[in-house]
Amino acid sequence: MNESIVYLHKAENNTFVEASLFDQVTDEHLAMWSNEWVPVMKKHVGDLKLENAPEDSHWDWKKKLAEVGHLLSYQSFALICEGDLQGLMIVSNVRSAKIQEQFGKPIVYVEFVSTAPWNRVEINKPVKYRGAGRIFILAAIESSREMGYGGRVGLHSLPQAERFYESKCGFKRLGPESTHQNLCYFEMTSSQADLFCQNM
Amino acid sequence: MSAKRTMTLNLTDREMQVLEHLAAKKDLSKTGVMKLALRLLQTVDERIEPGKKLLVEDEAKNEKSELIFL
Repeated sequence: MNESIVYLHKAENNTFVEASLFDQVTDEHLAMWSNEWVPVMKKHVGDLKLENAPEDSHWDWKKKLAEVGHLLSYQSFALICEGDLQGLMIVSNVRSAKIQEQFGKPIVYVEFVSTAPWNRVEINKPVKYRGAGRIFILAAIESSREMGYGGRVGLHSLPQAERFYESKCGFKRLGPESTHQNLCYFEMTSSQADLFCQNM
Repeated sequence: MSAKRTMTLNLTDREMQVLEHLAAKKDLSKTGVMKLALRLLQTVDERIEPGKKLLVEDEAKNEKSELIFL
């Protein structure tokens, strides 16, 4: 397991603080998710109507990791800052690109990515840390480069995150796909990945 | 980075031709193609159990065909 030093923006005092990105989610990370993250999410969801709850609030990360954690085609990431879990991500690396110019070439596909509830404006205002989403996209790009995929990345976005991927990250929107609950598919070329990394 | 181990792979001319073709098509090194093949095989092998099939779907023709897997 590798640990990379990254930086998150701490809203409380408007500073950047050091964080650690691990390229493997461990039992310790899952315990942090279960003990710290889940209770906050459950409290927020409370009596909310299903359509108003965060779209990933029902995700069970222990179950997801148990299903794919042992496979070479999946990689998991955990982001830790000031002793707390700030985000989790699972990517896969056996899918093909769909954009015409890179069609059929392998990509790193973001299967699941979530930031901690206290980093979401709809749950905790002001949020505790900003920047987790961009760090995870950077991690997916780096993983793609390490695989020899040139930074190519793809994902299906939950509706609440579409603008982030298109406007903030520079993904190309390819449209909704019926095979993925009509979620919109986004993809990044090698040159778009280079541009994203330059702007980090 | 995990420790890496080296192995030698002996291929026939035909196998090497296929490997070179795939490397060019997928924009990967030959090693990258072999690693991708290993990841794919493990993933599919894990999913295929008695009673399960791997299908290829042609959306345009609305056809499905079974992909035979070892």
